[in-house]
Amino acid sequence: MKMSDLLYKINISDIDLTDERYKISFSENDISFLAQSLKETGLITPPVVRPLNNKFIIISGFNRVRALIHNKETTIVVYKINPNTTDYLCLLKSISALAFQRLLTQAELIICTRRLYQFIDKEEIAKKSPAIFNTELGPRFVGDLLTIGALPDPALELIHMGHLSFKSAKRISLFEKDAIKIFLDIFSKIHASQNKQLEIILYIMEIAARDAIKPKAFYMNQEIQDILLDKKKEPGLKTKDLRDYLFEQRFPIIFKTRQRVKEKITSIKLGNKIKFLPPENLDSQTYSISFTAKNYKEFLSNVQDLNAGLENKALKEIFNQ
Amino acid sequence: MKIDTLFIDKAIPKDLEIEYLISRLNADPQRVENTKTVYDFINDAEDSILKAKKTLYITQNKGAVIKACPGTSFYTCCDYTILHTGTFCTMDCSYCILQAYFHPPVLQYFAGLQTLGHSLEKTFKQNKIFRIGTGEYTDSLIWEKVSLQPKFLIETFARQNNCLLELKTKTINIESLLPLDHNEKTVIAWSLNTPDIISSEEKGTASLKARLEAAKRVESKGYKLAFHFDPMVIYPECEIQYKKVVKQIFEYVRPESIVWISIGTFRFMPKLKQIIEKRFKHSTIPYGEFILGLDNKIRYFKPLRIKIYKEIILCIKNYAPNLMVYFCMEDQEVWEKCIGFFPKKEGELGHLLDKSAVKHCSLNSNLL
Repeated sequence: MKMSDLLYKINISDIDLTDERYKISFSENDISFLAQSLKETGLITPPVVRPLNNKFIIISGFNRVRALIHNKETTIVVYKINPNTTDYLCLLKSISALAFQRLLTQAELIICTRRLYQFIDKEEIAKKSPAIFNTELGPRFVGDLLTIGALPDPALELIHMGHLSFKSAKRISLFEKDAIKIFLDIFSKIHASQNKQLEIILYIMEIAARDAIKPKAFYMNQEIQDILLDKKKEPGLKTKDLRDYLFEQRFPIIFKTRQRVKEKITSIKLGNKIKFLPPENLDSQTYSISFTAKNYKEFLSNVQDLNAGLENKALKEIFNQ
Repeated sequence: MKIDTLFIDKAIPKDLEIEYLISRLNADPQRVENTKTVYDFINDAEDSILKAKKTLYITQNKGAVIKACPGTSFYTCCDYTILHTGTFCTMDCSYCILQAYFHPPVLQYFAGLQTLGHSLEKTFKQNKIFRIGTGEYTDSLIWEKVSLQPKFLIETFARQNNCLLELKTKTINIESLLPLDHNEKTVIAWSLNTPDIISSEEKGTASLKARLEAAKRVESKGYKLAFHFDPMVIYPECEIQYKKVVKQIFEYVRPESIVWISIGTFRFMPKLKQIIEKRFKHSTIPYGEFILGLDNKIRYFKPLRIKIYKEIILCIKNYAPNLMVYFCMEDQEVWEKCIGFFPKKEGELGHLLDKSAVKHCSLNSNLL
């Protein structure tokens, strides 16, 4: 630490809490644990502040200050940096203070690289990354962070919440503004894993390309809106319904054929213990039938169920279609 | 597409074949030590595939000149033999697998008629029927206007009776072929598609009408013909359009002149999709109802393939009941449902095609 950063005791009321220019991490909703820790252990690492316009702004330690306010403290020990410290150096301090405590999340990396990009280019960010981020970032990854950082709200929040994966964000960043908006809207309303997000993006874009329409025009159709706006449905269930609907729209014939085969298999009534599966993608002719048996009685029962299905019309249709 | 850069392998002697080629290409040749210069030149471009189509590299074939077609697992193969005369193509079909097949794609012309001749002589001496084609890694006739190779091949094949040469093309480059003595050993084959697909997906190729007119002209000179509906693309009302193409074939040429017609729907390595999306932004062909096939290639959902095949085969058989129609890379179910039988035994499809070759091209029937 440079000698210009000196420890001071200041009034908390002298801190301008509205200035969050150096805030990187997303605020903890519940700071009661931190507040309790400060009460019992005291402040171990003082926040870093910068004097500005007769007030102080926080460079690092937003949650600590909030927790002390929660504890109704009126003063705080801080590191006060030299007022002449450049914006760039303040930014470096804000990032390093956090990055050398713990690895930054992807959302935090996005925020940091965007801010750094105001001062240095992406190659320079990559070069300096070990000293700033406590980890090496390649120029390409920095480029991705910057691209994703340019996505409109609520992209960053969705990434932070885990509702928009980095890969999905990167994918949608290539699209036109309207298309980006619809995906951010979708992922605000559903909770899907990365693979499911990518599938949803892929199907919507492919349907739009196939039908020569804008993704927004497809997105606005009533079925999609009904799924997404259904307040009674859990986000997970909405994801399933949306994926089913999109699959049906993207592959109408495959969908119908699969449904038909499924219905036929169900109609054979082989019982719950017998698994009768069609070939993968219906591309080969090999169906698989399997069952488990714990004893001879169960084995016999399954064989009898299979025998009972032999003359079933649906079974014959499946193999002779 | 015009060649704007011409590289020649330093090791290639400046003989009649090369002088003929250079004089007609109208591009200043640059002699290079090795392929790296060519690769670097192509890879520097933003669209390296497009760049490769305008950059010709005249070199020697450093691998096998004649080799068996690799085919694909799980689907029935026709036991074709490839004569490796060059790579890549000057035309720009969106669906072309060669875009994804070569790394990077390089438009190569393999010089050395003598080398070709020597390799062929060995094949001619074998007691076996061969169906040999040059259209697997390139279009067979893209260099017809500037090269002596097609003439050399046709005349070389004319002097033997166990091998058929198939020149497969989407061009109408037939002028120099017309006066040649081919002795029925050369089949000129056209890849056909609907006018919709030709105009939207086959940039730089001849129109359907032009291809069929060219077919009629070579037929008038005694050449046998073949047609390949490959890749068939499934789109609304495509059945009607493909049937119209079939009808047109028989308006232009006689069924007796056709050695075979192959059919196959669009299938591709997964990585081709990105290339199509990047290079052909208005193409909708990657958005069909595809599944991942057993050979890890993406292909249309089988019921859709069967539906279009049934219609087109019925249509062909209406015009030419005895014509050899075969599938390129399909399985037992498709064969049985669409053609009524399946060439199950290894080499059975190849044998059927050999029989058609013998019948149409006066090959040695004792070798069947």
